[in-house]
Amino acid sequence: MKGKKSKVLAVLLALMLVVAFVPACAQEEPTDDPGADQPAEEEVTIKAAMVTDVGGLGDKSFNDLSYEGLKRAQEELGVEIEVLESKEITDYESNIDQLATAGFSPIFAVGFLMTDTVIKMAPEYPDTQFGGVDEFFDPPIDNVVGLNFKEQEGSYLAGVVAGLATKETFDAKLNPDNVIGFVGGMDVPLIKRFEAGFIAGAKSVNPDVKVISLYAGNFTDQAKGKELGLSLIEQKADVIYAAAGAVGLGTIQACQERGALFIGVDADQFETVPGSGDVMLTSMMKRVDIAVFETIKSVVDGTFAGGENQVFGLAEGGVDLAPYHDFDTKVPQSIKDAVAKAREDIISGAVTVPDAL
Amino acid sequence: MNEKREQSVLVQRSWMVAAQKIGAPLISAALAVVVGSFIIWASGYDPRAAFIALWEGSFGSPKAIGDTLLKATPLILTGLAVAYGFRAGLFNIGAEGQLFLGGLAATWLGLSLAGLPWFLLIPLMLLASMLAGAAWAFVPAILKARIGAHEVITTMMFTYIGRYLVSYLVIGPLKAPGQIPQTAELPGAGQLSRIQALFSEATLASFEFLKLGRGHLGIVVAVIAAVLVWFVLKHTTLGYENRAVGFNPWASQTAGISVQSTTVKALCISGGLAGLAGSTEVMGVHHRLFDQFSSGFGFTGIAVALLAKNHPIGVIPAALLFGALAAGAGRMQFQADVPQKIVLIIQALVIFFVAAEEIVLWLIRRRQKEAVSHAG
Repeated sequence: MKGKKSKVLAVLLALMLVVAFVPACAQEEPTDDPGADQPAEEEVTIKAAMVTDVGGLGDKSFNDLSYEGLKRAQEELGVEIEVLESKEITDYESNIDQLATAGFSPIFAVGFLMTDTVIKMAPEYPDTQFGGVDEFFDPPIDNVVGLNFKEQEGSYLAGVVAGLATKETFDAKLNPDNVIGFVGGMDVPLIKRFEAGFIAGAKSVNPDVKVISLYAGNFTDQAKGKELGLSLIEQKADVIYAAAGAVGLGTIQACQERGALFIGVDADQFETVPGSGDVMLTSMMKRVDIAVFETIKSVVDGTFAGGENQVFGLAEGGVDLAPYHDFDTKVPQSIKDAVAKAREDIISGAVTVPDAL
Repeated sequence: MNEKREQSVLVQRSWMVAAQKIGAPLISAALAVVVGSFIIWASGYDPRAAFIALWEGSFGSPKAIGDTLLKATPLILTGLAVAYGFRAGLFNIGAEGQLFLGGLAATWLGLSLAGLPWFLLIPLMLLASMLAGAAWAFVPAILKARIGAHEVITTMMFTYIGRYLVSYLVIGPLKAPGQIPQTAELPGAGQLSRIQALFSEATLASFEFLKLGRGHLGIVVAVIAAVLVWFVLKHTTLGYENRAVGFNPWASQTAGISVQSTTVKALCISGGLAGLAGSTEVMGVHHRLFDQFSSGFGFTGIAVALLAKNHPIGVIPAALLFGALAAGAGRMQFQADVPQKIVLIIQALVIFFVAAEEIVLWLIRRRQKEAVSHAG
């Protein structure tokens, strides 16, 4: 009896693994590397590489965006590129080690979970240049540049849109209640920046607005994202902003089912989440691709800013709002003007956006 | 004459049984490689290059072997945890949660008793992790023994509670200052050192094979645990009762073994072993606790136990195989441009062929019958 049971379990497990694999392989073609076949034009070819977080490619977020930056560098700068995906946290070190040994530089370590690994590995390879996406190095390391973003500035603009939209009735999904919602991934300082900016932006144009914030506790659980979305809508929120990775995909479903508008994050989610156009008001784009590309460019130009922690805000084009797409004709000019003014004020320094609650 | 013949047949048969036990998983693994090669080839990659890279990344150098040991360490312990439960007819699917609690207990104790010397601190931390894992399995165990609540449901639910508890603690009360949600670093006396750190530079220079990179002393803990579990199962009353209940609970009950108490003991020991996997990861690899320090070792442990046919010593090679696949995956995507997710397919195939092992056994038996009839 026991044998039978364990066999059934074995088959189930095998199926689970296969199922886990299928969507993953459907999404990507990661290590195809046409650039490697082209003859190098310069004497020394720059070889740029990245190590993904455990989320891997196909996350529609910072791993994919970093890869976009690499691909652009391959096309425009003719550098050779490589991407290694991490399946486990213990892969970070071995992946970085392999790339550094093979002469790749710069090497991008994507995601704040890799901060410690970079701190440990960078001194072992002093001639290799490292870029840490979402990583802040204190004290700074000579051959490492930290690539950080002022998520609060882009989120402020998202807040302006949401704060004004909830007072309007330009779409049937907007209700008369002056309530908007925020869904966060993990309750960490990085995500708090999104929340703080969003609330500040909303209150700047609509001081009485009620902003309800809920946290999922992770960046992967879509069912949880849907649950939180439904709960927010239940509490009369009609515009929801999610800074929660894949969790937000569940929140989009909640908005579609129960009728609310959604503001996406990281990428222009109108483009990356098919079929979401009916609720996707706009997205707060975090241009990790630009930061990665610019860093590679600096290595090519010989101006690599090692030992610095760079911060990409609105002024640097590191964060911004995506187009309104399907809502472009519906969104009143007054909202568009308010966003334009807020953008100017932030860039000119007239408004400083808080980075914590 | 007749008697002698019978004896030799018996000896022969016991050899065959042993050969089957060891041979079937080996054949399963080999079949997985063959089918895996086909899949790699059909996806447009070079299977030869892929497997060469996989080999080099897992056993090709002392450093690669160290990586394999590093990845196999938690899998040996979670594999043992699941296997021990299976031997009592219990499916502890919640090893992952017990592992998190083990890691939490070890970290908390290591940080609280930072002043102690290593020969006190390390055993205490290991012990604490086992107790915490066992405690986490205790509630499902009691529920199973008293009211028959199925352990698959309860241990799984406790996994969620455990994971989110650790999540909460590393974001809140136990968080070290800084941007990243993680605890402070363990004191040196609470860390399991790397194997190569035990030897002097001179020794390492003359014995290259000791340069095991990231391989740490957790592997020693894991192997000792495997031998102990084997001893307990084979040579103690506790282990005998465990196996008896797994084999036939009703008969055991009739024979005077308390099924209830055996169930509780089995799940708690299983949980303790999983908890130990948490502490060796924290003490040997990360030196601190954070939210995602385990990448599903508790679940992979189920596959390891299946491949090992729930034999405590068999868990070691089974875990080494899975560890090698994980360690070589990075090299494979780098050197042969094969996505590391292919490794997941090979893992799945290994499990699949273990499940389909009846077919293999059937083939072997047919061969044997043919041989016997020819001989007769």
